[in-house]
Amino acid sequence: MASSDLSEFAEARAAKWEAALLQNRVPDFVLQRLDKAKHGTAPWLSTMTPAELLLLKTHRIRPLAAVSGTCWYHYGYSWTEGHAEGWATALARIRAEAVACGANAVVDVRMRTIAKGSRSSMDFTLLGTAVRFDNLPASPEPIVATVPALEFIRLLETGIVPTGLAVGARYEWLQQSQWGPSLATGGMSGYNTPLTELTNFWESIRRAAHAELRRAAAKQGNGVLADLHFGQLLRPETDDKQPARYLGHHIVIGTVVDTPRAAPVPHDVRAVVDMRDTLSPLHIKAASRHADYSDEHEGGI
Amino acid sequence: MSAQDDIPQHALERLKGLRGAGNPDGVFTSDFSVNEFLLVRKAGFEPIGLCVGSCIYQVGIQFSQWSKNQELTRLSQAMYDARELAMNRMRTEAQDMGADGIVGVRLEVKRLEWDRRVLEFVAIGTGIVHAQSHPGFKGQGGKPFTSDLSGQDFWTLLHAGYRPIELVMGSCVYHVAHRGLWSALANSIRNVELTNFSQALYDAREIAMERMQDEAHRAGAESVVGVDLHEGSHGWGGHIIEFFAVGTAVKPISAEIDPSTIPDPMLVLSVNT
Repeated sequence: MASSDLSEFAEARAAKWEAALLQNRVPDFVLQRLDKAKHGTAPWLSTMTPAELLLLKTHRIRPLAAVSGTCWYHYGYSWTEGHAEGWATALARIRAEAVACGANAVVDVRMRTIAKGSRSSMDFTLLGTAVRFDNLPASPEPIVATVPALEFIRLLETGIVPTGLAVGARYEWLQQSQWGPSLATGGMSGYNTPLTELTNFWESIRRAAHAELRRAAAKQGNGVLADLHFGQLLRPETDDKQPARYLGHHIVIGTVVDTPRAAPVPHDVRAVVDMRDTLSPLHIKAASRHADYSDEHEGGI
Repeated sequence: MSAQDDIPQHALERLKGLRGAGNPDGVFTSDFSVNEFLLVRKAGFEPIGLCVGSCIYQVGIQFSQWSKNQELTRLSQAMYDARELAMNRMRTEAQDMGADGIVGVRLEVKRLEWDRRVLEFVAIGTGIVHAQSHPGFKGQGGKPFTSDLSGQDFWTLLHAGYRPIELVMGSCVYHVAHRGLWSALANSIRNVELTNFSQALYDAREIAMERMQDEAHRAGAESVVGVDLHEGSHGWGGHIIEFFAVGTAVKPISAEIDPSTIPDPMLVLSVNT
């Protein structure tokens, strides 16, 4: 192709992306790729390891295509809603691609973000592998499982369906009143003092994030496994005349599951001792669950 | 028969794109991993909700004598009280949601950046209930039990015939005496034990462990498992260290398991390193 053809091609492609994003659909050239995957006329792509592939095979599940959903989102008036909205959009987009290739589920879904120097916007990306169960018809609403394929099968067998992603986030300011007692010191300051007002403020933020997580999960299932937590309590600099302000934000993200209460776990669990030295509890640094001393070296004598 | 037949009907329906019939039992939240969730279920429990308690605490001031080994009781008290307050708030939340206990409790301490004397303490874990509403798993006084054991460890503990009752802890903040200039000079080329340092570490660790053991005793425990001893400093300077002991106090399950019925773990060697 001549260079002018190339740039025309790129422009046409950019225009198609723009139209697709505006209309909430997948551009036609992506649709074509996914359609080939659906009909097996192009090599399938998968993010899975060979071990996972083996397990899928035994359950007669076919990988179809690597699918993704991306949304670069600017949070203007609300950091909280920005995060929730960004992930929700990425989720809808990866699901649209999965529908296009006739999948029942997307497994092995990873969350990616690129924060490119901007504090007020961020990229929310989901990547995974669309799969089809041999005996089942294609789903109009494929489930999006943010678990590895190995765990996916085990979950299904125990009656637990990982259905999607839930986000609970909260973002709030606390203003020190001009005349009131300081929130940041305990008055008689040589003594041990719990700072009640600040504690309540901070705890209410976490609890609100958890409640939000529960609401978000309820739309897709009846439980959530959320092992991603991030929170900060900050006191941004103000000039001396201004009373202090506190900013707390907290976010919890997890995999939504749908499962009947107390569904039986059919697998037997056997205790084994692995004889590899690297697994010895004496060697595992992170054995403790308590992140008490991130600066463990600081207090050397 | 294919392995697909092992997948329950309800799961197959979701895969076809059919929605579940609402959520009559409500929605649970947890910070479990997939494996933890499976093992907690296998042990006969269901998660109900994340429980959290915080405490932002201003640690008091205490002066220490430069050349003396001593516990700084005000600081010990602060480190203990603040954790206890956070744990109590967490336990209250669990009790309000009707939990039998909290597993996977993590205790975190962070220094807040704007003031070196203000520390943030957080306790967080997942509240669980016995799926058949067995009443025998609650902690002391009918309150939810607390435990820092993961879902995996929880399953294993029950299979060993024990149940958790309380996350117990002990704290001791200690000032280690500085060496006098003359003694430092006199010893500068000799190989010699610095007994005052040894003694300080021993004493502080001993105090922390005694306090934890005492707490376990009051909780009516038979033993404490998963004991962890940390040492560290929260911005108090090099000669002041906190020793912190933490572990899960346990009791035998009322109908004691005959040890001969517990299967011996098998030795395996995984070769895919």
